[in-house]
Amino acid sequence: MSSARTAERLARILAMVPWVIAHPGAQVDEVCRRFGYDRDDLVRDLNLVFVCGLPGYGPGDLMEAYLDDDEVVIDMADYFARPVKLTAVEALMMLAGGMAILSSGTADRALESAVAKLTAVLLPEEGIVDVDLGAEPGPVALLRAAAGAGDVVGIEYVAIASGETTVREIEPWRVFAALGNWYVTAHCRLAMGERIFRVDRIRSAAPTGDRFEPPQDRPPAGVRYVPGVDDTVVRISLDATARWVTDYYPVREIARDAAGTVVEFSASDPAVVARLLLRLGSAAQLLDGGDAAEVRSAIEDLRSRVLARYR
Amino acid sequence: MQRVIERILNLLAFLLTVGRPVTADEIRHTVAGYDQETDEAFRRTFERDKDLLRTLGVPLRMDFTDRWQVEQGYVVRPDEYALPDPGLTDDERTALWLASRMARLGGESASPSAIFKLGGAPAAASGDPLGAELGADAATLGSLFAAVVERRTIAFRYRDNDRTTAPLGLVHRMGHWYLVGGVGDETRTFRVDRISDLVVDEVKGAFIRPPGFRAADGFPEAPWEAGSEDVEAVVRFDASVAWWARRQLGSRAEMTEHRDGSLTARIRVASPEALIGWLIGFEDGAVLERPAHLRNRFIAHMGAGS
Repeated sequence: MSSARTAERLARILAMVPWVIAHPGAQVDEVCRRFGYDRDDLVRDLNLVFVCGLPGYGPGDLMEAYLDDDEVVIDMADYFARPVKLTAVEALMMLAGGMAILSSGTADRALESAVAKLTAVLLPEEGIVDVDLGAEPGPVALLRAAAGAGDVVGIEYVAIASGETTVREIEPWRVFAALGNWYVTAHCRLAMGERIFRVDRIRSAAPTGDRFEPPQDRPPAGVRYVPGVDDTVVRISLDATARWVTDYYPVREIARDAAGTVVEFSASDPAVVARLLLRLGSAAQLLDGGDAAEVRSAIEDLRSRVLARYR
Repeated sequence: MQRVIERILNLLAFLLTVGRPVTADEIRHTVAGYDQETDEAFRRTFERDKDLLRTLGVPLRMDFTDRWQVEQGYVVRPDEYALPDPGLTDDERTALWLASRMARLGGESASPSAIFKLGGAPAAASGDPLGAELGADAATLGSLFAAVVERRTIAFRYRDNDRTTAPLGLVHRMGHWYLVGGVGDETRTFRVDRISDLVVDEVKGAFIRPPGFRAADGFPEAPWEAGSEDVEAVVRFDASVAWWARRQLGSRAEMTEHRDGSLTARIRVASPEALIGWLIGFEDGAVLERPAHLRNRFIAHMGAGS
């Protein structure tokens, strides 16, 4: 017997009972829909409630719980008239989820009032918890609608690595926020495969009029990076002020000591590594080996192009 | 499973109605289901049941059974047990449920138990393609959230230092969770995913939040707004990248568009380092024009790396 399953079943009973008590005449279908029961499961749980109650455990001490045709009846259970308060994790997940989706600027009125009501009962003071996904770059709402409806979208995409602009047709699957950016996971008709695009690098987007069948299981929100065989791979030594790199990039940690952290960094293009290293300045050091030579020349190229603007 | 659930329902019904602290011994002899043969078997069963109650969110605590404070017993106070009714409509429940499924904390999304407690919602599979990964580990955030709400002091390790702070609020910005903590009269910000060895003090109401406190006040909306300097930078963006600069700056900078499509932005900067880092992303498409000391700092920075 798994205690997790026991906990789930108990949690549902302790939520269903108060709801039925508060809604006399509740119908089986309604209770099932609300609490994810099928009729047999509901009957099984009601039978269980029926044999529980207060010490003495005689007819006047036990709860009453049964089906009367299609009506769910629960009586003599006033001590279970309210649901258990939310645990900290439950409360945070409901609040944070609601606030996050609200801040995307694409939510409806119902969510707005729901978050306000929940805030009022869960937080002793307003404003002590705040979730904002950040300014939403232009096409998020368009991509969300297209992904829901199965509309193919033509985009003008400016690659982060090369700065090169391409025009593509994509079948958007999921639009999500992570690590402070918005992304869209899509089937790209140009690359003929699944790709993740940063929404802020989509310069323009418009439905093409073509349709596609949205996938049954959309890929989860989250940035996954699968290293390719042609990737640039180097080792970088990061000092303490540059350690944030390990939170933002898919690096493999090789060694760590008081002086810093050595990571293996792979990227699809040496330009990505060059830009990061120039940005880190003296807080990071490119170690020999791997594709270091290629990256060094990318750094020199970028450095001279940028500095040329300052002469 | 059946027996466990019956026993827990009986135990909870008893604790919610008895109106005084009761000892384990009294529970053993009063509540149906505790007919284990040996003391050891009873103890094990009772420990497991207590854990299960706490998992569900039942506030089970200990209190003295008499005023001479000799013996302690278990208490569940109905007012602490019951969820205050937020008065949600069905539309609101559904919206909340869908939102909490769309957002994830460290890869986890909300379990149905929360929405059941709030009155349930039709189990519509979320076909909504919108999502958010909020990062950080749900258990740590849950503990911090409880400490913020109940005003309990916390101690933790942060970047190889031990810290003690009054947890005033929690903020999610730029993809990360931050704890806003009070140390004396000062307010400090800690990134939640760098907090380890968290210990939450037992005393509730250990501090008072400053009047009118809002966790997000003064919180930077862009990396270069987090810092101690205050300087206005003038940056010129080429026509080819002006759209991207405009999109990222939003309303946080004063912008002038030129005939050729290029853009001049005046940006208030608290962290020049962060601004320089951001500008490098534009490669040779942006030039930091003024002030001279910032421009020189940019040039020096470009000369330094690897």
